[in-house]
Amino acid sequence: MRRTSPLREAGLDAVTLIVLFLFLVPILWVFVASVRPETDITGGGLWPQRFTFVHYVAILAKKPFLIALKNSLIVGIVVAIITTALALPAAYALSRFRFHGRDFFGLLILGTQMLPSLAVLVPLVVIVRQLGLTNTLTALIFTHLALGMPIAVWMLKGYIDAIPKELEEAAMIDGCSRVGALTRIVIPLIRPAIIAVGTFAFVLSWGEYLMALALISKADVKTLPLALQALFDPYSFSWGQVMAGGTIIALPAILLFLIFRKQLVGGLLAGGVKG
Amino acid sequence: MIGPAVFVAFAIAIVPLCYAFWLSLQDWYMLRQPAPKWGGLINYRALLQDTQLWASFGRTWIWTLGTVFVELLLAMPIALLLNRETGIARTASALILLPWVTPFIVLGFGWRFLLDSDVGPAHAFLHMIGIAGDSSVLNDPVLAFATIIFISGWKGTPFLVIALLAALKSIPDELYEAAEVDGAGAWSRFWHITVPSIQNTVVTVGLVLGILAFYSFDLPWIMTKGGPQDATTIVGIAMYKAVFLDLRPAYAAAISIVMLVLLFLASMFALRARRTD
Repeated sequence: MRRTSPLREAGLDAVTLIVLFLFLVPILWVFVASVRPETDITGGGLWPQRFTFVHYVAILAKKPFLIALKNSLIVGIVVAIITTALALPAAYALSRFRFHGRDFFGLLILGTQMLPSLAVLVPLVVIVRQLGLTNTLTALIFTHLALGMPIAVWMLKGYIDAIPKELEEAAMIDGCSRVGALTRIVIPLIRPAIIAVGTFAFVLSWGEYLMALALISKADVKTLPLALQALFDPYSFSWGQVMAGGTIIALPAILLFLIFRKQLVGGLLAGGVKG
Repeated sequence: MIGPAVFVAFAIAIVPLCYAFWLSLQDWYMLRQPAPKWGGLINYRALLQDTQLWASFGRTWIWTLGTVFVELLLAMPIALLLNRETGIARTASALILLPWVTPFIVLGFGWRFLLDSDVGPAHAFLHMIGIAGDSSVLNDPVLAFATIIFISGWKGTPFLVIALLAALKSIPDELYEAAEVDGAGAWSRFWHITVPSIQNTVVTVGLVLGILAFYSFDLPWIMTKGGPQDATTIVGIAMYKAVFLDLRPAYAAAISIVMLVLLFLASMFALRARRTD
C-alpha cells in the first residue's frame, strides 16, 4: 500500500461528494420535481418545501399509461426469460465443447452487441411490416432480444469457465447425464449471474425507445417510453406528471442495476472492452 | 445448444444487414413507386447529390467527436478521484453509473425540463451567466447542438469512468513507488506511468463510445426532433425521417449502408492509435 495522509483523503472525499452531486443533480431534479406541487415547480424556488404524490396518483389513473405499464412489463419479462433461456445453453456450449466454428459463432454473437439498433432499424421495420407484425408486442419482443443476449452469453460463459470441469465429470461418472450435470451442478452455482443477466435484459427492454417508436403506433400496444412521450405532446401538460412518469420508468432500471452491479459491471467490461 | 442464440444473432443482425444492402439497390418510393423494383445504384446516386444529407453527416462527425471529447474530459478526473480506497469513493463509483443506466427517454425529458425557459433551473443558471437569452438554449441552433452534445457525453461518461477505474486499479503500486524513489513528481508519474497504462483502454472504450454516438438517435430526437432548423439533425435522424416522413425505405437503407462503411473506415483508423505490445 502507498502511504496516504488521512487529511488529504478527507479533502478528496469532500471533492468527490461535490463532483458526484453535480454529476447526478439533473437526475435528482427529475425525482424532486415529481413530488412537488405544480405551482412549486413553476415558481417555488430551488429548494423543495412541500411534498405531494398527486402526480403519481394522476398518472396512474390514466388508462393509456396503465396499459403501457402492463405492455412494458409483458415485453420486459418475456424478453428476460427468452434471453436467459437462449443464452445459457449457448454459453455452456461455448465454454465446454470444442467444435468447428466455435470462435466464429462466439464472435458472431458478440458482434451483434456492437451493432447499434439504428443500424438495422430500416430493414427490421420493412421485414416486420411484410410479416404483418407492426403494432404487435411479438415484433417488439423479438427485436429486444438483440439488446441483452450477446452480453448475456458472454457473461454466463465467463462464469461457467470459472467452474471446474471436474465437478460435472464427477457427476456424470455417478450416472448424471450432460443435461443433468448442467441443471444440478452448473445452474445452481451460477444462479446469481443468471438472475443478473435476466434483470439486465429486462432493464434494457424496459427503457428501449427507438424500436418501440418505429414499430408501435397504436395506443393499446404502446410501451412506457412511448406513453411518457404521449403525456408530453399535447399543449397542456403537467411537468410534474411527466417527471413522475419519468421516475416510474427510471427507478426500476436504476434499482435493479445497482443491486446487480457487481455481476453486471464485470460482464459489461468483458463484453465491451476486450483488452 | 448454441443454435437458438446463433439463430437470434442471424435473424436480428446478419439477415437485416444483408436485407438492407439488397433494399438499398431497389427503387422504392412509397409516393411514386409503391412496390420495390430493381433500381441498381439509383439510391446511391441520389445520396451523393443530397447536400442536406451530407450536412447531417458532417454534423454527425462533430457530434461523435464532441461526445467522446466530453466523455474523456469528464471521465478522466472523476476516475482519478474515485481510484481510492475510501468508503465514499466506493459508494460514488456505484452511484456514478446512474446517467448510464437511466433510459434516454427519461434523461431527454428531464433535460428539456431543466432547460425550459419558464421552469428550468438549468435555464435560469445559463441565463444568469449570460449564455442563454430569454428563450431556452434549445431554441438556438448552435447552442442546442452544443448542449445536446454535452448531454450525450454526460450520459456516456460513467461507462468510461468504470473502464478507466478498472485500468487504473490494475497498475501496480510498485511502479509509482519506484518512480517516486527516482525523484519523479506527481505530473511526471501521471504522464509516464498512468497515461501509457490506460492508453489502450481509452482507445478501445473511446471507440465503443464513438460508435454508440455515431448511431445516436434517441437524445436529439426526444429533445429537439432534429431542430431548430435541422441544427441537431444527425444522420440517424435523417435516416429515420427518410423512412417515416419521406416514406423512402430503400433510400434510408442506402443511408444505413453508407453509415456502416464510413464507420468501418473510421474504426480501422482509430484502432491504429492502439499500442501494439
